[in-house]
Order: sequence, then structure tokens, then C-alpha cells
Amino acid sequence: MQAQHENSAQLASPSEEARSLRLKHALEHAAHLLPTQGPIGVFIHHNTLHAFQHLPFEKAIGEASSIFGTEPYMAEEAYRQCLARGRILEADIWDVINREENEVILPGRLDRRTLRGILLLRGQASFDAATVDWVLEETGILESGGHALYAICLKLAGQDRTAAPSHPGRPVGLPRLGEVDLDEVIHPLLIRLAAVFLDQGVAYWPMPNRHKGFLGAVRDAMAQRGALFPEYLEGLDAAFREQLERGSSAEEVVIEVLAQLGVPEEEWESALAGELLALPGWAGTFHQLEINPGLFPYIHLPCSLLEFLAVRLTLKSAAALGVARRLGMGAEEIRQARNVRELAAPHPAQGRADALALWDALGRLGVAEPDLADWNPTLQRRLVHEIQEFNPLERRRLLHLAYERRHEEDVLQAVAWHRREHPPVRQSVRPFADVFFCIDEREESIRRHLEEVAPEVRTHGTAGFFGVAMHYTGMDDAHGAALCPVVVKPQHAVHERPVSHHSNIHALRVRRRRTWARLLHHTSLFSRALVRGWLSTAALWPVSLFPLVTRVLAPRHYGLWTKALHRVWIPRPSTELAFERSESESITPESGLFRGFTLEEATDRVAGTLGNAGLREGFARLVAVLGHGSTSLNNPHESAHDCGACGGGRGGPNGRAFAAMANSPEVRGQLLTRGITIPADTWFVGGYHDTSNADITLFDLERVPLSHVPDLAKLREFFDAARAFDAEERARRFEAASPHGGPRKALLHVQDRAERLSEPRPEYGHCTNAVCIVGRRELTRGLFLDRRAFLVSYDAALDPEDNALARLLGAVVPVCGGISLEYYFSFVDNERYGCGTKLPHNITGLIGVMNGPASDLRTGLPWQMVEVHEPVRILFVVETTPARVMKVMSANPELAEFLENRWIRLATVDPGTGDVHVRRGDGWEMLSPTLEALPSVKISADWFRGKIDHLPIAHVAGPTSRRGNGRV
Amino acid sequence: MSRARRPAEETDVFDAIPPQLLLTLLVLSPGCVFLGMALLWLSGVKLSENTIARLANATYVFCGALVMGLAGSLWWADLASVSAGSGNWYEVHEFQIPLALFVDRLSLPMLGLTAGMTGLIAVFSRRYLHREAGFLRFFLLLHLFAFGCFLVFAAGSVDLLIGGWEIICVTSTLLVAFFQQRPEPVKSALRVFATYRGCDIGIVTGAFFLHHWAGSTLYQSVFKGDWPRQSLAGETLAAGDATIIGLLLLLGAMGKSAQVPFSGWLPRAMEGPTPSSAIFYGAISVHAGAYLLLRLQPVLVASPVASGAVVLIGALSAVHGTMVARVASDVKTSLAYSSVSQLGLIFVEIGLGFSWLPLIHIVGHAVVRTLQFLKAPSALHEFHHLHAAAGGHLPPTGAHYGRLLPPRAQLWLYRLALDRGHHDAIIDRFLTGAPRKFAQWMNRIERQLRLTPKIPKESSHG
Repeated sequence: MQAQHENSAQLASPSEEARSLRLKHALEHAAHLLPTQGPIGVFIHHNTLHAFQHLPFEKAIGEASSIFGTEPYMAEEAYRQCLARGRILEADIWDVINREENEVILPGRLDRRTLRGILLLRGQASFDAATVDWVLEETGILESGGHALYAICLKLAGQDRTAAPSHPGRPVGLPRLGEVDLDEVIHPLLIRLAAVFLDQGVAYWPMPNRHKGFLGAVRDAMAQRGALFPEYLEGLDAAFREQLERGSSAEEVVIEVLAQLGVPEEEWESALAGELLALPGWAGTFHQLEINPGLFPYIHLPCSLLEFLAVRLTLKSAAALGVARRLGMGAEEIRQARNVRELAAPHPAQGRADALALWDALGRLGVAEPDLADWNPTLQRRLVHEIQEFNPLERRRLLHLAYERRHEEDVLQAVAWHRREHPPVRQSVRPFADVFFCIDEREESIRRHLEEVAPEVRTHGTAGFFGVAMHYTGMDDAHGAALCPVVVKPQHAVHERPVSHHSNIHALRVRRRRTWARLLHHTSLFSRALVRGWLSTAALWPVSLFPLVTRVLAPRHYGLWTKALHRVWIPRPSTELAFERSESESITPESGLFRGFTLEEATDRVAGTLGNAGLREGFARLVAVLGHGSTSLNNPHESAHDCGACGGGRGGPNGRAFAAMANSPEVRGQLLTRGITIPADTWFVGGYHDTSNADITLFDLERVPLSHVPDLAKLREFFDAARAFDAEERARRFEAASPHGGPRKALLHVQDRAERLSEPRPEYGHCTNAVCIVGRRELTRGLFLDRRAFLVSYDAALDPEDNALARLLGAVVPVCGGISLEYYFSFVDNERYGCGTKLPHNITGLIGVMNGPASDLRTGLPWQMVEVHEPVRILFVVETTPARVMKVMSANPELAEFLENRWIRLATVDPGTGDVHVRRGDGWEMLSPTLEALPSVKISADWFRGKIDHLPIAHVAGPTSRRGNGRV
Repeated sequence: MSRARRPAEETDVFDAIPPQLLLTLLVLSPGCVFLGMALLWLSGVKLSENTIARLANATYVFCGALVMGLAGSLWWADLASVSAGSGNWYEVHEFQIPLALFVDRLSLPMLGLTAGMTGLIAVFSRRYLHREAGFLRFFLLLHLFAFGCFLVFAAGSVDLLIGGWEIICVTSTLLVAFFQQRPEPVKSALRVFATYRGCDIGIVTGAFFLHHWAGSTLYQSVFKGDWPRQSLAGETLAAGDATIIGLLLLLGAMGKSAQVPFSGWLPRAMEGPTPSSAIFYGAISVHAGAYLLLRLQPVLVASPVASGAVVLIGALSAVHGTMVARVASDVKTSLAYSSVSQLGLIFVEIGLGFSWLPLIHIVGHAVVRTLQFLKAPSALHEFHHLHAAAGGHLPPTGAHYGRLLPPRAQLWLYRLALDRGHHDAIIDRFLTGAPRKFAQWMNRIERQLRLTPKIPKESSHG
């Protein structure tokens, strides 16, 4: 006895240890279901259902929707409208159905495919149990002689109620006791506690004792005596006090409450998942910040999901006790409450609804009452079974496949036609300029316009960090940030520093910025304080009047004025990047990073990017490298519009660093040994393209050789023209822009949007993304792809070993696939996978948004970002052969999973013959070209002007065709 | 009731457009726009976003012009006030509720503020609510709200003011519940509504007693002199009467202006779209309570007890608001409670007998807070730049609590501020607990007597 006591005091007994392990496992599994979004300031697109990626797409979204209670596809009605307006064709439906398993239903008369095809095309109706009686009585649906058939249906429909789906159901914690929803009781308090704990700088008075972790800080605050609780939570302070006295750990608290709530150990996982999924956003954020503390934007806190759970369960236990007290329940009854799962009893009219649906389907199949009555019961039952198996979910699945198929067909036929009519030819003339853009689909249009404006310019697409993965600290930045894809951990630090003779300007700048910050900090605190608030509201209010009026009525001008003031008062020194490092230097101990790149490393970066893009020689005299990002106001999701390849950052510095490296004579010397020849008269210029306000900024212009200055001036003119046309193309989607305003006005319009406080859609971001084309630019040059295609430059002829392809796909598939899937889910169920409409969003703690004052932390994309999206899985079109792409894909487990489980779609264009192959199921099919001709226009604007919807692919011949031959 | 009105002939320059007409037009125009749009909507006409927005712009430019015209004509004719009456709304024997509009130096700035702010919010919302299903609904409610505000600020009597007051209550509730497909906004709206209506008991009974003891609620009958030098006319009210009326009106004002202990509804009201939060809880609606007290200041002046109560409530709210705002970690709640604290100060100023000061404070607070609400979604962007400009070292805030208070007191105070003074629990358990229990008890009795018809489950959804 004595020994046992000692044992438990010092070492956990074996059973406790097992329990603790079990809890850890259960929590890990439950946490798997939580959203994986970090604080919103750095928004990284990812597959919303990443946790389900090991399953085939259709199975995964089915399971996820039963666990989360979400929609897996668009509504059936939406697909029907697509059918009606020709977005889905009858042929697509049959094509999809003919790939499904077949079975004879009525020998010689009906098989499964025919049945499904007819029902899809003729639009099977569903009836709701709640309204079916009204339909039967009031609409006269059975009037035209349907009563007899309906009578049989009534008999048949109930016989074969399909069993509940095999999907796992929604996990349940302890949601209610009696009539009281316990979550409703505890959530207001829990949300407030979680919010003040994670707060990164909104509250003037931060929560005390946060260094003790969530449970510790909450205990200290909540254990205070003298507080008055809401009715059901009375006793919560005592519960926390008791925990304090006993010094219980989070784990002990969780285990105790689980026992108190009557959850047996084998149900822990489901119960924990149920509890966590009641507020998935908050729980997920705790989890993300626990496993990756680097995500805290300003203040690092000890964060733990287990502690969140412990607080949650303490609250829940108090609420359960409170409710039990009120209802006169005992401890045993609380334990029992969880087991009483009220299975939703079928609606009394459910049988009639089923019968009517069956009646409707039979009518559409042309089965008449006498026929049906004649058949033997086996046949009858088989038919009914088949019809009922073809439930709404199944119909939506097939409709979705048809919807994707039409998209795939349209894209591939157009690409095949273009490849056929305009086969790529090696250019013999040296281009005027080479311009590198990010692969981002938003850059597709500006590339096209640049080529239209200046056919002598060549454009390339590479991931927008240009191979330069770095931890970058700009002149104005307080801390550095990683500018590279999230999967890469940067090892090199790069600083922007003022050039030496401008150090005094820099000092002045820093001083003035500090003063400005102090002033602003105080005014923002002022207005929320008491006495100082009096000063700012009663005395200094006219200072706010000017911004209030101008920012609402003339936002663009306000932006111009403040920027001008800023320029005058806060001077900007010339700067350079400190990116070079000698061989001998090693990792700086405090940051754990290399300072800059050695010659070898710099050469690797340049060679990698140029080599992957298939550019080894024949460089133009000017090469511009444009990173991208997006600025907007009043937009908590601002970062979601930045460059995905820069980890949700802005890629300007990457372009600048790349250009500086490529201009270095030593690097060029090294490049020669790797088969890349950069001519002596080639000059690289780094730059930044803002996809929101359409600005293009070029860096280090004072370093451009005099010989290149006129050319650069010309290139900038081209940029200016192209970005105006690009703005016009973007503006076509915005109803607020005049459809016939022309490029100049469109440019002003998009600039206005970026400055407007009232604009929830500064730009549409990745919305409408649908395709990723990996291949030579000649494959797509002259195609109007409607800003829907990621374009990755790649030349299979220069990559016999497929090494470049492996590198490219290894980066591009997860990034583009993630973006595409995040948009898919946020679109099909915007309230649950996405974060709903932006309009009531309320920033909390600088880490996320809530709806109003107290809701779950909303993850995913807002409706305003996805509203014009077409939810299709991204279609990769790779210019290589099926064998080569499969070799690459199967060698990389992540890519293999994406492909085999069909989270992406894949096709190839043969680099030699131009044949197009499509991956279907486990095999490849060759696309038979059916397209006679693609609509052809002179310039893109002829195709898009005045139109607001998605546009089919067209051929843009260019204002003066340089390719003369081969045109239709 | 026309005894205070100077003959119109004296204002010869404005002969063509008498100020009375301007005033009537001003109050009626948003009401008419509301009615017109509502009728069109009911008759199935689909108004485009552009039409709705243009109509709104035109309405508030027109209203702004009317306010300026009014100001001009008052100034030109050197009038302290203008009133326009058109008979009685309701009449039983001695008792009348006259339809009287009245504008003076107090109401004119409030009218101007309303016209200007509503106009700005209309421009803002045109983009903000673009493609939103409730676009028309929002603008309808905005017009109705403006009508209610004009009525409150231009009413010539407490009775008419109550009319506008209730319109504000209804529009406010409906805009909090703007996203009616989700349960939380609806619940919050219900809470807002209940708080408003509970406090309305004060203003309605206050008006009743004013009728009873002063014989009228017309400002011009009850008060003499021009604002800000008004006092009770003659011996209309005894000090004790003034105290009772003053306290009742204070109750009404406390609800509208979210004063202690009724501030709990204000953060909940942030469920609506951002611009409606700005116009209601930053600019106009929350100041209506302060306006009411300012308007009826002579009653307060006549009663030291009532004045003292106003000062007390204001001071408590000011401290409460600032404490809660300091611990709030979301932007809109923090702004809401900052408003509570400034409104508290305004109450204090009114209770102390100031006139111009609270008026200027109201206008200034409306301007500052509206801008802050409209910028609320920029908090991340702004903090990021601020943090960078400060070189990554923003001075820590709230540290003096650590220095000044012992740790226990610190935690206790934090806990108090975090739970917003436990006001919600106090109200739920002690103020509304008893009636609720009574209702539940009645419900049980009724069920036991089987008086309730059995309602089929599905129809309860309809």
C-alpha cells in the first residue's frame, strides 16, 4: 500500500502511463482534422483537406464532408445551370458515365449507364420530406394520371432504404445536456480567453502571466474570488482554484474531465475531435502555433493544444455541473448523457418524399405503371435500388466530373490546335529583352500584353523566388522574413543596406520613421484611453475630419498625397543588397543563417533558375526579373494575394538579388563552366510587380550601364503600356469599372481600388485559377488564357535526364495544387471551408478574423476572394511525354500522391509531335484533335472588352503578325 | 404652440423658401426615399445597385444642402430657432401629441452631422456591400435610420423624439441581424433590442410624467430662452418632479448610449457589416442618448440629484469603458468600449451643466470614431507598418499596472475588466432572471394543463 503510494507520487504507474500515451495519440489524431492555417498576416495557400490527401479525391471529400458537415461539391442546381447554359455538354455526361462501372438492370432494356445518363440529363428531382405533402396536395403533380404509378412507388420506395453511408460520422464531444447547448454556454468565455491569450498587440493591457502557458494564465485570472458568473458557469472559479491547489497538469485535467463526462477510453479520440471541432479555428491556431512557434508574428508565447483542451474541458465540466444542478441531475446522469445519442428519427413524410422521387425518376425513364406492375419483384426491387443508389451526392459527383471534363476538353483542344498551327520554331533573331515573371496565373495577362505591345520581347515564367531562397531584411523592416516557398527553410540572410555615401540620409530616415511611429502609436492608443481620448476626440478631432472625408470620397488622391508627403519628409537613400559572402565565413551563431551567398552558391541559384527555364544562351541585352506581391487596404487577407513562391511574401527582393547575382562577372564566369553563356552586353534588372495597384518598380537603376539606359527607357515604356492593358483586362471583372473606359481609365481604377477603404475586392487574387502549363512559351504564346493558367517555362529538349522537370514539378505541383484546392473548397462550402463574407469580419489579436465580436477564428478564403471561381481541380499540362512525366511523378511520393489520388489532373504535350495525352484513371489516352479553328483576334482587348464572365481560350494574332505563315 | 415662432415675414430674404419648409423637407426626404424604395421593392421592381447608390448620394447631398440652407436662414435672420408645426398627431381632450419640428443651435449641428455621416457611409457602403444579397435591405435601413435620426434631432417635443428614437431602435436591431442566416447575429440583435426596449421604459414614462406635471412635452412650452441658455419655463416642474423625470430620461439615455451597466450590447452590435457599425456605434446612434440629456438639460439643472446621477453614471462608464477597451483583444470590441468611455465623459460634461463642450465632444467623437471603425479591417496592415517604423520595438503597454498594483490586485482587476465588470451576468441573473423564471414557470403550467396545441415539428421551421 505504502509502496504503491510512493510509486504514484514519483513515477506514473504503468496504467497511468498507458493512459497518458493513449491521450497523446487521441489528441494527435483529433488534431489532424483541424485547419492548418497559421496567423493571417502571412497567408499560405494549402489544400484545405491536406489531412485526407492519402485518400482518392472523391472518397476523401465524401469522408470530410461527413466529419465536418460540409458540402463536397457545388449544389446540384448549380451544375444544372451549367448544363442549361452549355458549360457542361451532353457528351461530357455520357463520357463520364461510360467510364463508370456498368451493370444490367432490366435485361435488354436498361443498364446502369443508361439509367444514370437519362436521369442526369432529364434532371431527376428531389423532394423534401418537410414539403412533400404540400407538393402532393397543392401542385397537382400527380394529376395527369400519375396516381397509379405513385401508389406502386409508395409500396416499393420503403422496401429498400439504403443503409447509412459507411463514412465515419461527425465526432461528438458532449454538446448538450438536457435542452441546454453546452457549447453555447462556454464559447463566449472560451473565445475571449483564447483571444486575449494569443493577442499580438491589440490590447493595451496584455493578459498577465502568459509565460505560464494558456492553462496557467487562464487559471491565474479565472481563479480570482468575487467574480460573478453566468448562471450555468457558477463554480468555474472554484474548479480552477482546485486545480491550482492540486497543481494538476493539463493532461490530468483532460483525463479527469473525460472520466467525469463518461467518455470511455476507446472513445477519447472521437470525443476530443468533437470538442476541438466545435471551434476548429481557435483549436487549429493553437495547434499550428504549438508545432511551429515561428508563426507568431510579434510575441512568442508557449502554446499548447492540450492546454487549450484542458481549459475547454474545465469550462465544459463546470457548465455540465451547472446545468445538472439546475435540472436536478446527478453525476451518473451526466455520464449517461453522452451515450444517449438521439438518432434523428425519420420524418413522418420521408416515405412519401422517397416515393415521389421514385415516381419522378420512373417517369423520366419512361417506365409506365402497367410495365412496372408486370415485372417480377426481383426486377422491381433492382430498378428501385438502382434509382435510389443514384442519390444526390452521386449525381453531384458525376455532374462535377462532367464539369471538369468540359474544362479539360476546352483547354486541351485549344492547346493542341495552337501547337499544330503554330509549332514552336527556334528564334534566330536576338530578342529585345527577356522578362522573367512569376509562374502566377495573374502574370499570364501582363506577359501576353507585353508581348502584344512589343513582339520583340520574350517572357519566361519561373517560381517567383527565382531560386533565391533567403531570409531577407529590408531597409525599413524590423525583422527579416523568409522569402521562399514554405517547404524550403532559408539558410542565407540578405540585408538591404544604404549605399555608403547615403548613410546620413538613412540615419535621418530612421530617425523620422521612429518619430512618426511614436506619434502614430500614441494617437492610436490615445483615442482609446480616457483622458487622452478626451483630448483627441473633443479637441483634436478636426485632424481626423480630412482623412475621413477624403479617404471615402477620393481615396486614390489621398494615397497620392500621403505618399508625396512621405517622400518629402522621410527621404529614401539609395540602397544595395548585402548578399555576397566569402568562402571562409560560416553560419552566424545568433541567427543560425549564412550571411549571403558564396560565389558557388550564387552560381547555383542563377544556373538553377535559368537552366530550369531552358534558357542557356541567346540572352537579350536586357533581362528583367520581376517578383510580385500585392498591396491593399482594409484587407485582413492582404497577404493571401502575395507571392505563394515567396511563402506569402513579396518577391521584389528576390528579383533584385537574382539580377545582382547574374550581373556579377564572377558568377557569369562560373556559369560558363555549366553550359550557360550570358553575353557580356547582357544586363539584368530586378523589379517588383504589384498585382493590385499595377505598379512596376525596377531596382538598382543607378547601376545600369550607360549603354543600356536608352533600351531600359524603352522597356519601361513597354511595361507602362502593358500594365495599362493588363489593368483593363483585370477591370473587366469588376462591375464598378466602366466596361469601355479603355486602358488608361482602367489603370486609374485599379489604383483606386488598392487605396479604397471600402473595397473588399482590391483584386481577385488566384480566383479562377484552373490550369498549369509547364513548357516552352511558344506553346502558349498567342493564346488568350484569361488569367487562369500558371505558366512555367521548361524545355524538355534541354533536359534529357528530366532533372529540371523533377525540380520544377516538385515545387509547382504542391504550390499550384494547394492554391487550386484551397479555392475549390472555399468555393464549394464558403461558410465552413472558407471564412464566409468579409463584411462582418473583425480582426482579433492580429492573428485572424472573427465574425463579429465573438466567433470561431475564421480560416480559409472569404467569399469576396472566390466568388467568380470555377471549382475544378487544377489541370497540369506538361510539355513532355507521358513516360517521362510518370518517371518524375512516381519518383516523388508527394507528387505521386497528388496524381494517384486524383487531387490534380494531368496531361502532356509531346515536345516533338505535339500529340496530347491525358491521364485518365491509371492510364493515358491520346486526345483526338477535334477543333477546327480557335477564334482569332488581333489583340486581347478585342476578345475581352465589355465582357465580364469567363472567356474561352482564343488566339491572339498580335497587332502585326510576325509569323505570317501558318495562320488560319 | 406658435407663440415662440417669430413671424415669417421678418425673414424677407428667405421669403421664397421659408426655413420651416426646409426643415420639413429635411426630415421627410430620407423617409420618402425609404418609402418609395420599399414600395418599389414590394411591387417587384428590381433596383440596380447603381440606382440605389445614386439615389442615396442624391438624398444626402440634398439633405446636406437643406441643413446648410437652414443654417444660412437662421444666421441671416438672426434667429435662434425655427419651428414648424402641422397640427396634432393624437388628441384626447386636454392631451395632445403635436407634430412639431424644431431646430436650434443644438439640433442643427446634429442634423448636419447626421446628413454628412450618412452620406459618407452611403458612399462607402456602395462598394463595401457590392454584390451582397442584402444590398437593398442595407440601404433601405440606412434611409430609415436617417429618417429616425432627423426626427430625433428635429423633434419639437419629447413625444416626436420618441418616434424617431424607436425607429433608430428598429433599424439598429435589423442591421445587427443583417446576416440573418447565421444564428449569432440574430441572438445579438435580440439582446440589443431587449436592452433598448428595457431602457425605453425610462424615456416613455419620463415623457408621461412630463405631460402630467408640465402639461406638455413641447420644448417651447416647457423651456424658456434659447439654447444654450435655456431653463424651465416658470414653475412648470417642482424639484422632486424634475428629479423623477431626469432619472427616467437618464435611464433611456443610458440604453442608447451604452452606459454602465447596459454597455454589454455594444460589442454584440458589431455582428453587422462594418459601415453600419461605424454609423450606428461610432457616429450617430450612440450619441442620441447624450443628445436627449443635452436637449432636456434644463430638467437636469433643476434637480441636483438627477445631475449627480448623470455625472455618476458617466464617470462609472468612462472608467469601465476604458478598462474594458484596454484588455479587449479584438479591434471592434476595443473601439466599442472606447466609445463607451468617451460617451461617459460626455455624460459627465452634461451632468456638470456644460452645453457647448458636450456638443463639440459629440461631433468630434463621431468623426474620430467613424474613421476608426471604417479603418478597423486595416489593423493588421497598420500595425505591421508601425512596428517596422518603430524598428521592431514598440514601447510595451500596460506595464504600469504591473508597477502600480500588487500581483493579486492586478489579476483581480484584469479578471474584472476581462468579464466587462460582470455586467452581463448581473443583468441576466438579477434583472431579467426573475421575469424569465416566471415565464418559464408559466410555460410549464401551461404545458401541464396541455393548453398548447401540438405543433407539428416541420412547421416550426417555417
